[in-house]
Amino acid sequence: MNKACPEPSEPAPLSQYPPKLAAIVSLFEGLPEDEKRETLISYADVAAKCAPAAGETFDLEDVRKDEECTDTVGVFLKVSPDRRIHFRVSLGPQVQILTKAMTSILCKGLEGSTIETVLEVPADFVPRIVGGQLVRARSQTVYYVLTRMKSACRAFLNRERAAS
Amino acid sequence: MNPTEYANPDVLVSTDWVAAHASDPSIRVIESNEDVLLYDTGHIAGAVHIDWHTDLNDPLVRDYISPGDFAVLASRFGITPETTCVFYGDKANWWACYALWVFRLFGHTNVKIMNGGRDKWIAEGRALTREKPSYPASHYPVPARRIDDEIRAFAEEALAQSKAGKPLIDVRSPGEYKGVVTHMPEYPQEGVLRGGHIPGAKSVPWKTAVNDDGTFRTPAELAKIYTENCGLLKDQEIIAYCRIGERSSHTWFVLTYLLGYPHVRNYDGSWTEWGNRVRMPIERSA
Repeated sequence: MNKACPEPSEPAPLSQYPPKLAAIVSLFEGLPEDEKRETLISYADVAAKCAPAAGETFDLEDVRKDEECTDTVGVFLKVSPDRRIHFRVSLGPQVQILTKAMTSILCKGLEGSTIETVLEVPADFVPRIVGGQLVRARSQTVYYVLTRMKSACRAFLNRERAAS
Repeated sequence: MNPTEYANPDVLVSTDWVAAHASDPSIRVIESNEDVLLYDTGHIAGAVHIDWHTDLNDPLVRDYISPGDFAVLASRFGITPETTCVFYGDKANWWACYALWVFRLFGHTNVKIMNGGRDKWIAEGRALTREKPSYPASHYPVPARRIDDEIRAFAEEALAQSKAGKPLIDVRSPGEYKGVVTHMPEYPQEGVLRGGHIPGAKSVPWKTAVNDDGTFRTPAELAKIYTENCGLLKDQEIIAYCRIGERSSHTWFVLTYLLGYPHVRNYDGSWTEWGNRVRMPIERSA
């Protein structure tokens, strides 16, 4: 007998997310809409701290300007010997506030996860954090940073495979 | 025509003017942005926020809110029909012009734009606050109707305009006009199946109307763009369109208020409607 699949509209259990990200999702889900916005702003306010520090070195650097985002975004990836990852993200000045907020949330929420875990993170946590009202046309960039982080992980794995 | 001043100079106010009048009770400063959280990060003291998506659009049907809902919205911000509403926002006032245009749909005529928008205010080092103002609710009478027939165009009207060879102004980027892309640079694809433009439409990107700092070009420069180069005549009916109606609101504002064209309509269905609708004629150019 097939294992029952959850309905698509059913939110994924928090256990599907890395623990730090799950904690953030859980926090947001308990907030009323106005506090959700304020918390997003608080995360956006500290997005600059996610940028690489001077002299910091990385295993992969991917800085580019895509059509999906209003400014350049750089994703920097460092992989520890036990394959845990550490992300740094640089943002151009024109990126939207939601993109800044998602950058802070993801740098914190994915810190110390494995590459494989990051690649499997379901994107459905985004509306749970942001709220349905803010996920709409013109705000699709809320998914952009996660996409770029996963892309960096895939590029790292491909490079690793090619080297071996 | 080479005017030395705008047709309606009072409709455009400077950042200095807003700084001096923002606390005037007969004036309500309204911020409207593309970036949905930008207002929350800081705004002009006393300014209220209108979200183009959730405040002005019907949540279900692709249309604007009803006159009753507009009255509720205005009342929430203490606005009466006599209140002067001064709009500003990001993106060189795209959404400010859009919000102004929607207010005009409901017959609210006391409207102004802060020249240069939010970016100019910030570039001048002026203060922003995160404190959200609260105003006593006003009584805004429910407008008798929305004047869609005067300043708004629908697909059938744009089609008739095209067939009659009357002026259609495509304000999108050149790539969108030519059909090379179906979305503006730096933005996600929003589900348009065909690229190109309405047959006969002239390409006059909205951006030609503004300086690098987002302020509007001089009356003479605007007249050269629209009257001389584009050949628009005062007695013509003109329809402007873009992709979802916000950039064309900007051009509608320029033509209507700054150059004084009396018969300009904004086709807000724009390319997301035209480029998806079955059997609509489309033109592409190199």
